[in-house]
Amino acid sequence: MKKTCIAMLLAGGQGSRLYALTQSVAKPSVPFGGKYRIIDFPLSNCANSGIDTVGVLTQYRPLQLNSYIGSGQPWDLDVNNGGVYILPPYQSAGEKGSWFSGTANAIYQNLAFIENYDPENVLILSGDHIYKMDYADMLRDHLEHDAACTISVLQVSLEEASRFGMMNLGEDGYINEFEEKPKHPKSDLASMGIYIFNWPKLRHYLIADEANPNSKHDFGHNIIPAMIADGEKIWPYHFQGYWRDVGTITSLWDANMDMLSPDLINLYDPDWPISARSPICPPHQTGPHAEISHSIVTEGCEIDGHVANSVLSPSVRIDVGARVLYSVLMNGAVVEAGATVEYAIIGENTVVRAGAHVGNAPDGSEAWGVATIGPDVEVRPGASVPAGAMISKSEEV
Amino acid sequence: MNDFHGLIFAYFTNPNLRELVNVRTAASLPFCGRYRLIDFSLSSMRNAGIYDVGVIMQRDYQSLLDHLGGGKAWDMARRTGGLRMLPPFGLPEYHRGNYSGTMEALIAVRSYIQDIPAKYIVLLLGNMVANIDLTKPMEQHRRSGAEITALCTDRSGDGFRMTYVKGEDGLLKKILVDTADPKAGPVSMEGYIINRDTLLNMIEDCRKESIHLFHREALPRFLQQGGRMDCYVHTGYSVLVRSVDSYFKANMDMVDPAIRHELFPADQPVFTKVREEVSTYYAEGAYSRNCLVADNCIVEGSLENCVVFSGARIGKGAKLKNCIVMSDCVVGADSKLDYCIVDKDVSFSPGTVLTGNEKLPLVVPKGSAL
Repeated sequence: MKKTCIAMLLAGGQGSRLYALTQSVAKPSVPFGGKYRIIDFPLSNCANSGIDTVGVLTQYRPLQLNSYIGSGQPWDLDVNNGGVYILPPYQSAGEKGSWFSGTANAIYQNLAFIENYDPENVLILSGDHIYKMDYADMLRDHLEHDAACTISVLQVSLEEASRFGMMNLGEDGYINEFEEKPKHPKSDLASMGIYIFNWPKLRHYLIADEANPNSKHDFGHNIIPAMIADGEKIWPYHFQGYWRDVGTITSLWDANMDMLSPDLINLYDPDWPISARSPICPPHQTGPHAEISHSIVTEGCEIDGHVANSVLSPSVRIDVGARVLYSVLMNGAVVEAGATVEYAIIGENTVVRAGAHVGNAPDGSEAWGVATIGPDVEVRPGASVPAGAMISKSEEV
Repeated sequence: MNDFHGLIFAYFTNPNLRELVNVRTAASLPFCGRYRLIDFSLSSMRNAGIYDVGVIMQRDYQSLLDHLGGGKAWDMARRTGGLRMLPPFGLPEYHRGNYSGTMEALIAVRSYIQDIPAKYIVLLLGNMVANIDLTKPMEQHRRSGAEITALCTDRSGDGFRMTYVKGEDGLLKKILVDTADPKAGPVSMEGYIINRDTLLNMIEDCRKESIHLFHREALPRFLQQGGRMDCYVHTGYSVLVRSVDSYFKANMDMVDPAIRHELFPADQPVFTKVREEVSTYYAEGAYSRNCLVADNCIVEGSLENCVVFSGARIGKGAKLKNCIVMSDCVVGADSKLDYCIVDKDVSFSPGTVLTGNEKLPLVVPKGSAL
């Protein structure tokens, strides 16, 4: 059956800048905001926008992501004629088979999946963005402007512009130039890495790009510039609202802290729920010494210590006398009695033993940073982990 | 194929549960911040590999149906078998009242039981709070040659009301009704593992004789006729919820980590319908001690010795002590509640004061606006 629009979610990134957190899991399955994993945001946006067919492109450590997505039931994506599909790289008869060499190549390798649904349009999403967005509204904009491609854009300050792909508009409002991380930006419209393509057009450009041995097979570097060069109509969809790329430790920590501020992003809005697969634990418990302030706490947690300005995923345990400040604690993390965790990200099932100290408050120095401890690490009793450190399982302290 | 089939009695609405069962049966009472009582019998069966389960219901079952859905949460949405709802059918035309006893309920669903292909049937009460590893009594039943294995508990509580008397051969010889005395013998959880053919014979016999009571009539008859009944004692937290008091106490028990861990061991998960979508937020100045708080709450006030279900909004300056607050309640700023059981969808305007007593917790009916 023909579909108006299906989504392809790029979830293959290794997330090398988060490396302690992504040594054994793909970035989209990193816990986020208490209840969630990063991929819950684009998946929920799809479900809320009425897009019922989603291909999730994976190639790096997909095991946990696969089991997390499962049938797609938590996002109501377990439907007849559609649903959520994990699409790893594969080998065809007589071919050598290869890893996805770029974002565009990943889609190219799954032409058969897309053609199965014969869609009019294809929405390209990234698995490492935190935002709420109505893709149906973007699709309307795309169709109204008869665009070959619509790119979701966000207004950024000129200082930030050098980190993004920037869009320059012609007088007609269509995009006429794309600059990747410009030193001297000409506009303040940054690409959010969210595209809707007219499928026949995209198909044409993907095949042409694949034949070009000099291409990086990337949407931002190759496909979009090629379309602009050919004079295709590329429309900017002006997004207003909260949007964060969580590709770095600092941005991941910042975005988690943002979840404490409903004026930035309201997770309690019943009209646009972000859904997650629930581990089904009993509710969280507060003990006789618990102190909790300006924090997010999730099912299965047991808290008898002091928690402030922090985000706790399911089944975190904070023992009596422990202090957790300005930190992100992922599923099953434990902070034992008398330990302190501040300005830190603690990975899944990591244990901070009694009296240990992880992270430090900002001291204004250049070297300061959020302390990060990967999953399944044991921080020994009384040990000290300095600000900005990044520790993974192989280098326990 | 599994040799065991489950049957859950979910039709009770005990009058001692007062306003709590105005709108639901005891089996669908919300429990421990996110569960319903029936989750325990369903999960015990599911964890023992019993996926074919009939739930016997009679009236006020809308909330139960809503909770059970197709049985997906317990992996009981199966191509063949799976979860089956058993509202009354095949009852005489003149029958308009409640089932007068467990045996009458079984007679009412006998055509379902006749079609059960499994050799053994596990019967559990839907208002049971216990996480039983059923594989042990199932194995015992298979080996012992007894026609019935009665599930018993090593705990005490006001919900228990039957004790068995053991004979010299170790089998059960007698039932003391309205007695829960561990000194006299094993105390009944009113759950059984029974050979299907034995159950069908009992049903046929009782139907002819118009016998409706299971413990007072049917079981003594079975024993008199030389039936072999063995028992299995479950060691672990167990409660049968039959009154507001036992409901309140069982919920409050869950705040104690040792008791909660006993009821929710990692290798025997309790499954339930998932509804929460978001974590709970504690504002600056919030207070929460000795509480269980489900997801999707916003807490600005103070909670002490409370069990709070999802979707609650606890306003600034509100003080709740010794309360159970069910889903989607709004407690306005500066309200003070003590010893209250607040049913679903209740809203308190700012400054409301309500005080119950430890001996008599105040029940605020579903949907009230104060």
